[in-house]
Amino acid sequence: MTEDKTAPANGSILVVGGGISGLTTALEAAEVGYEVFLVEKNPYLGGRVAQLNQYFPKLCPPSCGLEINFRRIKDNPKITVLTQGEVEKIEGTPGSYDVTVALSPRLVNANCTACNDCVEACPVERDNEYNFNMDKTKAIYRPFEMAFPMRYAIDAAACKGSECGECAKVCKYDAIDLDMAAQTQNLKVGAVVWATGWEPYDAAKIDNLGFGQYPNVITNMMMERLAAPNGPTKGKITRPSDDKEPASVAFVQCAGSRDENYLPYCSYICCMASLKQATYIREQYPDAKVYIFYIDVRAPGQRYEKFYQKIKEDENVILIKGKVAEVSEDTATGNITVVAENAVTGEKVSQAVEMAVLATGMQPTAANAKLPADLTYNEDGFIINDFEKGGMFAAGCANKPSDVVTSNQNATGMALKAIQTLVRK
Amino acid sequence: MTDKYLIEPDINFVKEIIGLGGDTLKKCFQCATCSVVCPISPDTKPFPRKEMIAASWGLKDRLVGNLDIWLCHHCGDCTTKCPRGAKPGEVLGAVRSYAITEYAAPKAIGKAVNNPKMLPLLMGIPVVIFLVLGLITGLLDFSPPLGEHGISHSMFFSTWLVDMIFVPLAGWVVIVFAMGLKRFINDIHENAVLEGKTDKQELDYVGLIKALFRVIPTILKQDKFSECSENKDRDLAHWMVFLSFIGLFIVTNVFFVALYGLQLHGPYSQLNPVKWLANISGVALVVGGILMIKNRLSKTDQTSVYKDWYLLGLVLGLGLTGMLTEMTRLAGMAGVTYAMYFVHLVFVFNLFAFLPFSKLAHLVYRTVAMAYNEWSGRK
Repeated sequence: MTEDKTAPANGSILVVGGGISGLTTALEAAEVGYEVFLVEKNPYLGGRVAQLNQYFPKLCPPSCGLEINFRRIKDNPKITVLTQGEVEKIEGTPGSYDVTVALSPRLVNANCTACNDCVEACPVERDNEYNFNMDKTKAIYRPFEMAFPMRYAIDAAACKGSECGECAKVCKYDAIDLDMAAQTQNLKVGAVVWATGWEPYDAAKIDNLGFGQYPNVITNMMMERLAAPNGPTKGKITRPSDDKEPASVAFVQCAGSRDENYLPYCSYICCMASLKQATYIREQYPDAKVYIFYIDVRAPGQRYEKFYQKIKEDENVILIKGKVAEVSEDTATGNITVVAENAVTGEKVSQAVEMAVLATGMQPTAANAKLPADLTYNEDGFIINDFEKGGMFAAGCANKPSDVVTSNQNATGMALKAIQTLVRK
Repeated sequence: MTDKYLIEPDINFVKEIIGLGGDTLKKCFQCATCSVVCPISPDTKPFPRKEMIAASWGLKDRLVGNLDIWLCHHCGDCTTKCPRGAKPGEVLGAVRSYAITEYAAPKAIGKAVNNPKMLPLLMGIPVVIFLVLGLITGLLDFSPPLGEHGISHSMFFSTWLVDMIFVPLAGWVVIVFAMGLKRFINDIHENAVLEGKTDKQELDYVGLIKALFRVIPTILKQDKFSECSENKDRDLAHWMVFLSFIGLFIVTNVFFVALYGLQLHGPYSQLNPVKWLANISGVALVVGGILMIKNRLSKTDQTSVYKDWYLLGLVLGLGLTGMLTEMTRLAGMAGVTYAMYFVHLVFVFNLFAFLPFSKLAHLVYRTVAMAYNEWSGRK
């Protein structure tokens, strides 16, 4: 660091999105001395990574990495975190932007100690989006065990408000404010990094794979929640229809991906995710059979290739080259039959399994909700970085489908791009 | 799969398939969605995924003598569900068109049928034949007297002249098909054995003929079309055209017998049941032809090339000129009805003479392929 560092007038950076990419950009910029505003629309940070059970290929839980990041944020006075915030308007030019952020009321203030008394008292339930609606929480809830900020939140859509007020009655810390109002905050920043991430592609749109029709057809992200110790089944993988331990599971690769009728591109991570999820099943059920139906297995790079080779050695993991194009259900047993042509043998395969997992891809959040800024997108909704224009950059999956490692590298690069915008001014 | 297979790509073959409407074939990435969504593909060695890779690799031998290209009824379900827009249904249509040209000798006629520039020549051939033969024999009379029942087309264009031309023509069609079929049956059998579609090593013609009788109800009811989901609209149209051709075939044969056997000359009474069949068939042909054209125009993901329009044009032209010939005769418009009849015969000649070379040849190849598949015991 230089000795006579003078802070520029608009020396701050706005990071939109508090997932792994946003966290990384915010921390990298803040840790070299820049002021950062981190805006996240959920009441917690961590994004999609917070929903994962394990990372590939190391098979370690993301919680430890997230915890380190949360700790770094907590210790860094340069970062201001705005949860339940959405950027409403951005005006200005590189080096000088006026930003309006709309903040939804959390209805729980900073006094909250996460004692859980309110949850006991709350009479209302809501679908738990964090677990893809596979379970419910009360209207007042803790997003997840290690949520940051560690404060409860109230789902305003579910909560009956002050006419009920049971939670406020039992709260010993005066942490509940059911009349908390929505706010707007104006920020002046010099650069913006969009780390708005991705949504799992809506599997119900894929009309021949049975999702939404047959309960035992789930998505890969649902599988992450089923396998996660803090998930709806406490980490025990059971099938939705009858909580049975599945003796056989089929993975349907490229479900709605690389398909002009749905997402035309490859999401990069789904092959590795399914190989990883095969290990979840094999670990819990030593006799279970796993069938992976694929067009081609994309395990790029040395580490991923090695992981793929290792999974292939397991004789209970059967890889079949052929895309599943038909799915049916045996109504009596709830079992699922997937149909594909094995392109190696040229025979049609009808494989009955107890559960099927659709390896769905990533759709950029901006594809379904355009951002209030002058950005260019590709035809699929990913933000194209215009480095000549500068000032605003996309990081992580807002820019392209990528794994966590690539997202972090990319996010670090975008922190540098944002800093350069400030310095060049 | 054989242990070693030396791939000998035929680049020209790939180019020809592309030119015949299979221009999307290179987009295929072998996901095999098509083989699963196809409602009529068998479980043993299903199509059309393997045909798509053979087409893209230029493996002509794997395609031309492959019965699966004929089992395909061009439903279009594969094309709709294809994730890459590779349109397997269209590619197989192009391969069929290529195969027709391969099996029908002389090949030059097949090439001409697929070439729009040759259309005036193809239409001109019957005109010249009719005029030359008619004038030499004196069987074509441009100012004919009325017959005993008013206008009679045979006074203008003698039935002798018609049969002098069309009977040998029928013989020619039979010979061209017979020669093509001999190779075709051997090829599809060889291919089926090679690709493991059948366990039967030796061809058995008696068995094949028995199998043919077993598939006739399926063909008459056009059952395979009803299984299609994407191109359902075509089901009715194709069935109307198909049945009207059968109807007209019966009518022609009955009147042939009536004329030469019973010495009964036309035109026949409108009350005659055979005449009813003729009229119903004629109307069905026109309506079916129009429906087929309408269907093709409304299907934007379906590739329509010259071979398709040539056949549809002939079908509709045949039906329209036939009905107009009859109507103008009944209206007493002598000159018009003779002209109409002449044009009608030009259409009949085209459809007939070039039957083994045009897309219409599918009626023979598909029938044989279905019979073979039935005989092969494939599941």
